[in-house]
Amino acid sequence: MGMAAGGGEDLQSDINVTPMVDIMLVLLIIFMVVTPFLQQGVTVAIPRDMNSPDVDPAIIKESSVVISIPNDGEFYIGKDKMVKAELGPRIKKMTENKSDAERIVYVKSGVGVSYGTVVEIINVIRQQGIDKIGLVADKKKKGGAVPAPAA
Amino acid sequence: MSMGPAAGEEAVPFINVTPLIDVLLVLLIIFMVVTPLKPSRFEAKIPSEPDPNQDLSQLKPNPLTLVVTIFGDFKLKLNQDDMGSTNDTGALSSRLVGLFEERKRSGAFRTGTQDVEKTVFVKAPRSIKYGEVVKVIDAIKGAGANPVGLQVDDLAQ
Repeated sequence: MGMAAGGGEDLQSDINVTPMVDIMLVLLIIFMVVTPFLQQGVTVAIPRDMNSPDVDPAIIKESSVVISIPNDGEFYIGKDKMVKAELGPRIKKMTENKSDAERIVYVKSGVGVSYGTVVEIINVIRQQGIDKIGLVADKKKKGGAVPAPAA
Repeated sequence: MSMGPAAGEEAVPFINVTPLIDVLLVLLIIFMVVTPLKPSRFEAKIPSEPDPNQDLSQLKPNPLTLVVTIFGDFKLKLNQDDMGSTNDTGALSSRLVGLFEERKRSGAFRTGTQDVEKTVFVKAPRSIKYGEVVKVIDAIKGAGANPVGLQVDDLAQ
């Protein structure tokens, strides 16, 4: 009513693009902020729909050590692929300045990886004097039951 | 120019909230999508490297030790008792919950503390899939065990 053109004026014929531009700008900003989080390391089929893992925001911190094992024999620290022999010195370097409470190494292993491979990596981790690991898993969303994917 | 009030009309005294609502809705949707990305993990303890010179003969076995063993055929054992398989961890969970309750009542504390001894060790063969092991750890953690220790040495193939 109030926004309509006044009597006697011509109907306005151009599209008001201001709301569209607003939304586009917000989307742009959101994606700029979110993108670094989405590219956390490599894609790994981590265990899903677990009931009892603890939420730990430190996993996505830049400084934490996350070892990814997407498949048997493939190892990544963060986003860098490396061979097993390089893992030890790298872990040592990344954890040497940390306090005891922060000396935790996250293991992000795919569900299809054999446990022997994981144990080998745990063996490398403990050789660096670390006694605490975090097995990264996906927590089940509350409420709506998600059908579990075939393991 | 053409959006202004026409000559002779009074100024319109209301704010156009449509763009504001648009922006807020988009923000809402984005946050709904982003929130489930909160990462989570199971904390587990790993033993330090065995020292070949260490004298183990003086060590007394702890009667409160709980070891969950996974076998190559997915069967589970808690110490010596059969506990179903990795596909159905209900028996294991309820047994552990019962055990911890009983320990709380009988005062089976960790040496030197007032905490109930809830340490559980997990032992699995090397050939099994990691996913099966995590399923069992999930059940153990769910029963309230803390810390969970992973056995690393002397594992079956």
